[in-house]
Amino acid sequence: MRLYEYEGKAIFQQCGIAIPRGSLVRTGKEALRAATAIGKEVVIKSQILAGGRGKAGGIKTAETPENAAKITQEMLGMELEGYKVNSLLVEEKLDIANELYMGITVDDEVGAPIAMISAAGGIEIEEVAKRKPGRIVSNYINPLCGMRSYEAINLICQIGLTGETLLSASKILTRLYNVFTTYDARIVEINPLVTTSEGEMIAADARCEIDDNSLFRHPEWHDLRIQHIDNPWEREGVKGGVNYVDLDGDIALMANSAGVAMSLLDIIKDEGGDPACFLDTGGALSKERMKNGIALLLRKAKSDPHVKVILVYTSLVFSLPDTVAGGIIEAIKEVPADIPIMLISGGEEERRKQVQELLKDSGVKICPSVEKGVREAIVIARQESRNGYIC
Amino acid sequence: MAIFVDKDTNVLIQGITGRLAAVQTKIMLDYQTKIVAGVTPGKGGQTQFGIPVYDSVQQAAIKHRIDASVIYVPASFVQDAAFEAIDAGIRFMVIVTDWVPLHSEIKIKAYAEYKGTRYIGPNTMGMMIPGQTSLGGVLAPRVKPGGIAIVCRSGALSNEIPSRLAEQDVKLSVVIGLGGDSVVGSRMLDVLKLLKEDEQTKGVLLVGEIGGTMEEEAAEYIKAHFNKKVVAFIAGRTAPRGKVMGHAGAMIMSGRGTAESKIKAFQLAGIPVAKNLLEIPSLVKQMT
Repeated sequence: MRLYEYEGKAIFQQCGIAIPRGSLVRTGKEALRAATAIGKEVVIKSQILAGGRGKAGGIKTAETPENAAKITQEMLGMELEGYKVNSLLVEEKLDIANELYMGITVDDEVGAPIAMISAAGGIEIEEVAKRKPGRIVSNYINPLCGMRSYEAINLICQIGLTGETLLSASKILTRLYNVFTTYDARIVEINPLVTTSEGEMIAADARCEIDDNSLFRHPEWHDLRIQHIDNPWEREGVKGGVNYVDLDGDIALMANSAGVAMSLLDIIKDEGGDPACFLDTGGALSKERMKNGIALLLRKAKSDPHVKVILVYTSLVFSLPDTVAGGIIEAIKEVPADIPIMLISGGEEERRKQVQELLKDSGVKICPSVEKGVREAIVIARQESRNGYIC
Repeated sequence: MAIFVDKDTNVLIQGITGRLAAVQTKIMLDYQTKIVAGVTPGKGGQTQFGIPVYDSVQQAAIKHRIDASVIYVPASFVQDAAFEAIDAGIRFMVIVTDWVPLHSEIKIKAYAEYKGTRYIGPNTMGMMIPGQTSLGGVLAPRVKPGGIAIVCRSGALSNEIPSRLAEQDVKLSVVIGLGGDSVVGSRMLDVLKLLKEDEQTKGVLLVGEIGGTMEEEAAEYIKAHFNKKVVAFIAGRTAPRGKVMGHAGAMIMSGRGTAESKIKAFQLAGIPVAKNLLEIPSLVKQMT
């Protein structure tokens, strides 16, 4: 779950990292009030869950509160990088002496957190990394020990900071690591970390992404995660404990493994078909999740006439026949199927037969193999009309 | 020993009384896996399929020699369960549980490396040495022992692919599911180093998928150091591109992680890549 800049900044502030004075606004009137309270030139930043806002025109400055209100009104409702602007952050404009980059994430290859720092902060940081990789310094952190203050100092020294600035930056880095662990983040990033002309260090931006698998440790965020999803089907997927990815074809695909789902996606495309979505329920299915997945696809099919057929793969190694069949039957009870459901089962012959037996009156078509299932789904999807197909 | 385990490996099941664990324990027993004990805190003294259940790994380890543990506990308990096995001196773990938090995964990795315990997973179907033993739920009863090793990232594919190959009478030396998560105990590279020394293995099928850099890393190693035949497959060639994790993510990945990058890396290493799942058997048969 990616956090909005204002949410990330609120966390930073709680953890002792300074942020600019400002407030979140949702109307021009609120912007007027916010800018008046700040009492100097302000920056108005659209709050969307994507990068590249500045270049796309999502960040503007205003010298007067009236102008801030006007700009806010113009930007509200705007579409930026595929996201609608519903709120903006009105902040004091910082008097920038220089900009650092500071980020912590997990390097999969090593399987450990890595802290990355650069004296060349700002929007071109990735270009800097490509052209002058020496200007980015990094170090791994042992997650069992956490980041020690000397590690932060050793790292920050390498970008040429000394004296008070060295200490301030090191303190911020250890606090950022604290944010990273406390909130189970996949990434925390400050770009830029501004040093003002008065020598203060302030996080001018905040990029935080929380690990979804950790949400049981942060129950207060469960609703937030759902609010953060724009696509209604993806949102329903998260509520039902499944991963849904929207595509734009006619075969709705579901599997209890991301690897199989992707493999089927490739075969469907190679065989000339066009997937409408792909839904991964995760390996060890519960009847509930199986039901949620199928019901989601049936609802999607009702609202989107392009969807012609549902193709499901379940491995019966991780999932039991009664779970799979029971989930499908309950889903059909909840949302009557008006397009065909086809089921491919992997695993032991005996269990496949059990599934077939349990589903014999359900109308679900059992496919003998992956290739036959895919090819038949493509044939069904190509039929002009879905009327006349008896499920 | 074959890869990580063999027919003499004594196995512990952590979370043995759970629903999935019970089902898979039965599968393993049917495969003649030497399961000597199970652990479920609070259920010590009971038995499951005649296997004694203990309250803790330490309790089990006092009574039995344990070489490997298969972990089925819920995601919120996985870190403790893994640390418990590591502290009890168990040298190999299979962490089956999925949806494990990333911060638990990196701590398990650090602690296991510190204590010298190897593991596969989380989010794995497990592994099997055909004709010898099976840890987890890799279920391919028709698979016969032979010379092809399958190393797979995704869970269900580590079952689907051996089944397809068995139909074509391809014989296997090992099937190993590394786990579908970004931080796993063993990467393709780690397993390739073992396969290089494994006399039974003559050829290797690598089953990768989009995301991460495991395949690129493996391809470089194979090009420089691996002397057996390898073929590969990458799932998700037509899937929409995943989102990049901030500037830090982009800088670490530096262009790797896509299907194109992985396929190109394999091709540069002279490794044939199957176009899709259906093409795998014919490609593998060329190695035999």
